[in-house]
Amino acid sequence: MKKVAVIGLDCADPDLLEEFLPRLPTLGELVRGGSFSRLRSVDPPITVPAWMCMFTGKDPGELGVYGFRNRTDHSYGGLGVATSARFSAPAVWDELGRRGLRSILLGIPGTYPPKPVRGLLVSGFLAPGPEADYTYPASLKEKIAAWVGDYILDVRNFRTEDKAWLVEEVRRMTEQRFALARRLVTEEDWDLFAMVEMGPDRIHHGLWAHHDPGHPKHDPESPFRDTILDYYRFLDRKLGELLSDLPGGTQVLVVSDHGAQRMEGGIGINEWLIREGYLVLKGYPEEPTRLGDLVKAGLVDWSRTVAWGEGGYYGRLFLNVKGREPQGVVPPERYQELRAELAERLAAIPDENGQPIGTRVLRPEELYREVNGIPPDLIVYFGDLSWRSIGTIGWDRIHFHENDTGPDDANHAPHGIFIAYPKLDNRGERSILEVHDLILSLVGGE
Amino acid sequence: MMGEKRAIEIDAGLLRAIEEHLGELSAGSVEEYVEVVLRERLLSQGFLSPYTPEEEKEVEKRLRDLGYLD
Repeated sequence: MKKVAVIGLDCADPDLLEEFLPRLPTLGELVRGGSFSRLRSVDPPITVPAWMCMFTGKDPGELGVYGFRNRTDHSYGGLGVATSARFSAPAVWDELGRRGLRSILLGIPGTYPPKPVRGLLVSGFLAPGPEADYTYPASLKEKIAAWVGDYILDVRNFRTEDKAWLVEEVRRMTEQRFALARRLVTEEDWDLFAMVEMGPDRIHHGLWAHHDPGHPKHDPESPFRDTILDYYRFLDRKLGELLSDLPGGTQVLVVSDHGAQRMEGGIGINEWLIREGYLVLKGYPEEPTRLGDLVKAGLVDWSRTVAWGEGGYYGRLFLNVKGREPQGVVPPERYQELRAELAERLAAIPDENGQPIGTRVLRPEELYREVNGIPPDLIVYFGDLSWRSIGTIGWDRIHFHENDTGPDDANHAPHGIFIAYPKLDNRGERSILEVHDLILSLVGGE
Repeated sequence: MMGEKRAIEIDAGLLRAIEEHLGELSAGSVEEYVEVVLRERLLSQGFLSPYTPEEEKEVEKRLRDLGYLD
């Protein structure tokens, strides 16, 4: 039996890490003296559900959680945020608790509202605010306030052009999270310590163009061109401090839920569906409007609508199926044919110059071991995730080189990082779904 | 999710079991443990919302700002 510390760095990318590694003494030592693998995320490679997939060993279909917001029923507006209540599969800490072992959990997305755990839980950024009951036990919140002051769940006002402010806020959040982690690992009793720091994700989305010479918005003269590297060096120092506090013999895993890549632009999924006659409105909005608002206002003509989409880092497409949706029009016997038609046509959407962008369209039943809850009928990776999905309507175009919700330079990539120290083995690639069993076997205690 | 408190009666054996294992349950008090367990159960069955309507709007706005939704 040994202690295991899992340090999660949301969005830490394997290629970026290899590029920066000579400048990162702590991570460099972990990689040189330990094992380093590319960690294949789930589909979709998104923070929720990816972290909970890692800690339950279940894929999104088994969990019935396909993103931050999921359909709660087959109505047109029934969507709910994926809180801890949506994750019914036992997580690794539940299984360790049954063995009488204690876990400390810090900032793991998908753990709000906090469930009872044998140990301590500080939930992640889906807590509505520091005034909410975001810890288990509830009294832990007072201890946190005494240790680190007002707790920062996440960076506020992330979509800003004020990059200097954003960098400062992210560093402040990271500093505090690691300060709290150090308190927890030194002052509390644990067998598993698992934390997730969101800073790398926020820095990538906010500043990737400044770092990446291949990004369409890259400015080689930008004062922020080294900001991501500087942040990683800062993170490396914080990681080194935390590792120095861990008891000797602790097995350390440094992991991420997905990687990052440059964002080339966006595809207006609903604008395209309207243009091609699959989505019919009673009136086209005069200004960019979310589909959900058009649904609430009764402005979607469901009697003539075959499909609609949701935006985000990846696209989700839903068919309006007769007998399934309230005003479904797609006969069940034509479902597969229409879905195949849509998949083929979505995959063929070129960029504005007519050049292919390499979109991949995935079917839930082909991705997952089980399909629970209400999955999208199609999962769409525009440009293999180098283009995001824009769901708002009212732009009168389908190609975008800015985001509809504010500046964003990066999208997610399917591979994250896996570092084990001491060394486990030298596999080049692992699956995120293996981590759960690995933690159980490392901690032992059965 | 803090609100007005009301007294209820529970089986004495159940109460004893919680009291005896408070440390292993990582709870500060019997009340805290009973509340969190009941909350989890009600949330999982959809009988209780994890957010107030205002909180849900705020969280969705934050998720849109972060790019996860639009």
